[in-house]
Amino acid sequence: MKKSKLMVIICAFILLGGMPSLDKSQAAEPYNLGVALGLTGTGALYCKDGLDAIKLAVGEINAQGGFLKKHPIEIFTRDTQTKPDVAVRETKDLILRDKVRTVLGTYSSACAVAIKPVCEEYKVLHIPAISNSESITKDNFSPYTYQVVPNSYMQAKAVVLGVAELAKKKGWKEYVTIASDYEWGRSTQENTVALLKEYAPEVKLKKEFWPALGETQFTSYITAIMAQKPDFVIGSIASKDNVAWMQQAKAYGFFDKIPYPGSLISVSELIIQAKTLTRGLVGLARAPFFAHLDVPMMANFVKNFKAKYDRYPSDWAVMEYDAVYVLKQGIEKAGSIDTEKVREALKGAKVNTCRGELSFRTIDNQLSCSSYIGVVADDPKYPFPIYHDLVEVKGPDSWRPEAEIVADRAKEKK
Amino acid sequence: MDISLLFAQFMSGLARGMMFFLIASGLSLIFGVMNILNFAHATLWLAGAYFCYTFWNLMQDYGFGLWVSIALASLVMAAIGWVIEVLLLRRVYERKLPEQLLLTYGLILVLGDLIKLTFGVEDKVIVRPPLVAGPIFLFDTPFDSYFVFVILLGVSVAAGLWWFLKKTKYGHIVRAAVFSREMVSALGIRIPRIYTGVFVLGVFIAGLAGAVQAPVGSITLGMDMAVVVQAFCVVVIGGFGSLLGTFVGAMIVGEVYSFSILFWPEGALVLIFVVTAFILIVRPWGLFGTPMRT
Repeated sequence: MKKSKLMVIICAFILLGGMPSLDKSQAAEPYNLGVALGLTGTGALYCKDGLDAIKLAVGEINAQGGFLKKHPIEIFTRDTQTKPDVAVRETKDLILRDKVRTVLGTYSSACAVAIKPVCEEYKVLHIPAISNSESITKDNFSPYTYQVVPNSYMQAKAVVLGVAELAKKKGWKEYVTIASDYEWGRSTQENTVALLKEYAPEVKLKKEFWPALGETQFTSYITAIMAQKPDFVIGSIASKDNVAWMQQAKAYGFFDKIPYPGSLISVSELIIQAKTLTRGLVGLARAPFFAHLDVPMMANFVKNFKAKYDRYPSDWAVMEYDAVYVLKQGIEKAGSIDTEKVREALKGAKVNTCRGELSFRTIDNQLSCSSYIGVVADDPKYPFPIYHDLVEVKGPDSWRPEAEIVADRAKEKK
Repeated sequence: MDISLLFAQFMSGLARGMMFFLIASGLSLIFGVMNILNFAHATLWLAGAYFCYTFWNLMQDYGFGLWVSIALASLVMAAIGWVIEVLLLRRVYERKLPEQLLLTYGLILVLGDLIKLTFGVEDKVIVRPPLVAGPIFLFDTPFDSYFVFVILLGVSVAAGLWWFLKKTKYGHIVRAAVFSREMVSALGIRIPRIYTGVFVLGVFIAGLAGAVQAPVGSITLGMDMAVVVQAFCVVVIGGFGSLLGTFVGAMIVGEVYSFSILFWPEGALVLIFVVTAFILIVRPWGLFGTPMRT
């Protein structure tokens, strides 16, 4: 009798104590989200903002129970030091040790290109929401990589459309380029030069300058470019190198002498150089928040980001935030956190982002996001200059035609 | 070719070279006297830039803010140099070279993380005062006015170090210690105190160089790694331990880089390494150095 009583108590204990834990393990399998960003090194300026935006998005989703309201997201962050070899090592660690299902990242494009095959090999989703070299999605296509940034071809085309117009108006004949000597700089410069040849054949490239990534002193480049006396200069320099370049060029009176249209001046540069940036410059951005404050998702994001971090979000923050919500929508469409199902669900999917409703192109998983060109000017609403006369060049108007991608991939196979 | 164009390029090279002289002179001084190859020198340079920003941030509303910040940052770095010498370096003078290298390499990692923890990962930008914010015109050629200050400072540091080493009693003792520590010690002069002084002076100059670099662009983590290799090129070309060699090496690196950007932009960095490799082959102790002590 005593024995049977004891058995009943044990069974009751197991049922009462064990059931919730069984239920918990089934309903609350966490979603491990890997973040590989260049938190130190050249990319630190952009990546810190990106990470903060990811944390904000994850906090919002977790407050509702996580993905599918039952998979709380756990973030695993790694610093790639903006070095491709470190990025590969850390990504492998994220996948093998932390069992992440998606890797968000990264800066620079060289890092994104390096970790793409790793993610493909281990069948892990890869959303490089800062780096934008076209080769990330065009060459050696990986079905696991989705791009939420306007790529280097799209940005180059947006610039070229504007510059070609200006060249006709102003009678520009010669130009020089200055681009950081790495994957993104090379890719953007090559695309710009090729497209300018097509859209403004009368304009000739006079000389190319390739400062190393991480260059701290641009004086010799500035004087060498000024010596060329070009009609205009196209720059492809990013992050802290861009800040150094613009600070030093300004001190030479460079921008007063030579037009510098359409080079990357993201919201990060607008904020960090608020006091020093030359007003009237024509700059290029990837996702400036002030372009889409009419989209409720963007308005909310800006409000929440500012409330949490006491600053305005940069382009990089917007795109990383979008990346998390794109993933969320993919999971909801798939009805599962299974990577293969999510990958399939995202193929050609329409997604809501801070930049409005956009869709992925199936041939390269590139999001139909816009590029933005405007004139740097002060605005009483913000403690830093923003873009006025903003022109939004839509993704489908600027991305590379599919036929060219097919032809390039055929060449690649040969 | 237009002479003003060549002049502009020469001045750019001079500015670049002077920046490298400021970075490399402390490195060379420390090696020359103490026989310690301080891998962490560029990281100390970076710390100087961050301290300069910190002080400037407190005084940015005042026109003198930047200049005072540069001085304060250098002094703080000198104090940090003293702590490093007393707590760490002093203990490895008698050890073998690999152990010394390991210690200074370890310092890069420790100091790098300390900088990250103290100053955060965000980039910092110093706004220059109006006096040095725009161009000045030398023979109708625009030149960044801040680099006039850099060039003058570099020349002053070179002249100051020369005067100190050649004309002062303490400088004579330091030079004597380079050749024979035992003899100097036998005269009743405390060698550890000399070493401390030299290391503090070297780190002071590193901090000064970092503080001077701070308003040139943004201050960011990892910047030290971008300059350390070229700083070593400067001392390899000029000769470890030679002040004159460091000055000449810095000018060579600055001008070679500057003019190759004008004539062969793709090969600018390569040329510096070609020159360095050539010097290493034909004169391993550099243009003005002496064969390394064992």
